[in-house]
Amino acid sequence: MFDAKSENDALENLHQMGCTDGLPVVVPTPDRVSRMVLATGLDSDLNLGVMGPMHGVATVEKVAVAAVMAGCTPDHAPVVVASVRAVCKPEFDLTEVQSTTHCTAPLVIVTGAARYSCGGVASGFGALGPGHRANASIGRALRLAMLNIGGARPGTSDMSLHGHPGKFTYCIAEDEENSPFPGLHTSFGYEADQSAVIITGAEAPHSTMFSGDADDPASIDCLLNVISMVMANPGSNNVHLRDGSFSIILNPDHAEIIKRAGLTREDTQSELTKRATISVGTLRKVGSKFSVRDDQNDDELIQVLREPSKIIVFQAGGSGLYSMVMPSWCAGPHKNAVVHAEIELDQACEIPAMTLQ
Amino acid sequence: MRDSILTARLGIPAVALVTEAFWPQGDFVANSTGMPDIPRVKLPHPIAGSGEDNMSKVATDVAPKIIQLLAS
Repeated sequence: MFDAKSENDALENLHQMGCTDGLPVVVPTPDRVSRMVLATGLDSDLNLGVMGPMHGVATVEKVAVAAVMAGCTPDHAPVVVASVRAVCKPEFDLTEVQSTTHCTAPLVIVTGAARYSCGGVASGFGALGPGHRANASIGRALRLAMLNIGGARPGTSDMSLHGHPGKFTYCIAEDEENSPFPGLHTSFGYEADQSAVIITGAEAPHSTMFSGDADDPASIDCLLNVISMVMANPGSNNVHLRDGSFSIILNPDHAEIIKRAGLTREDTQSELTKRATISVGTLRKVGSKFSVRDDQNDDELIQVLREPSKIIVFQAGGSGLYSMVMPSWCAGPHKNAVVHAEIELDQACEIPAMTLQ
Repeated sequence: MRDSILTARLGIPAVALVTEAFWPQGDFVANSTGMPDIPRVKLPHPIAGSGEDNMSKVATDVAPKIIQLLAS
């Protein structure tokens, strides 16, 4: 807590203290933070979890500070709370995720009715890019919480060699209504009418081009092949360390090909797991020291992933040629686990009109 | 859109074919290049990869409109 003569002075202080992500933030005045706490419907001192590597306690109030700074509206608060709860689960390995030299960043996938009631989280054209307030603010709030409560400072405690743009914000909604699959959250044990965030550490999206042909029955094979080849990119950790997660965002056209072929989400996960292979010879060519034994032949194929459920596959984005594959870090005690938390919509309170000051 | 605008600027009759999903972008390009009235015909989306039968049907449906715009 500090006093400042003006909003500008307060902002400069926050920059100098290393509390921002480098961009201007909304100054978290006591009034603004109180309103955001109210929007969560939770007690301000409720502990949502512990955020490493600084092991800061993520109280509702501190998370509200991050949400205000990120530019969240009160509507976004339940998604921010759920996101913090999810990344604080021990299996997310937050301390390791924040400290690694890899560029991993939590990808927040918003599912269920919260996509509409929490400020309209975008799932269509450019949903991972600029111009969508809820996506930008929710992902940024989680990052600011990770910076200020978790203490991940670039170059001192966050040793990511390059970072990636998703470390500013990385949030998207599922396009469930147009998807061939049931809501992604139902794969994680939620009822269809619940809402949840599904989160995994992810690299930046790798664009995956495929032009289908409705007259060609081989389209489905070609689509699955190209996605699995991107999954088996010899530069990614998934190939060398194996068994991390993958996030795969199908555009509507690619999802339609999967629908026409009659594949369920589980079928798609299973097919991709089967096809995402790389030869021992290729791994030797790139000097992999992690996944090749001396007694293996060059022709032997290694499966990049053994557990199909670690592929998060869902529909989002605009119609066209490109889907997205996000490889992952694959390390830490739980090897890049996928975590999730319910977005509790029944906790929200009506917020009194804001006094501008 | 840009092809049809460049062609029209050469004095050659032109019609842009724009799919439904890209229609607002077409309006934007037309306005931003100073030719808001450049003739255009709306196609269903997606059209690429939708199969020969579908593409033939779409072509048959929109051909009269294209001819009409070129002749006007």
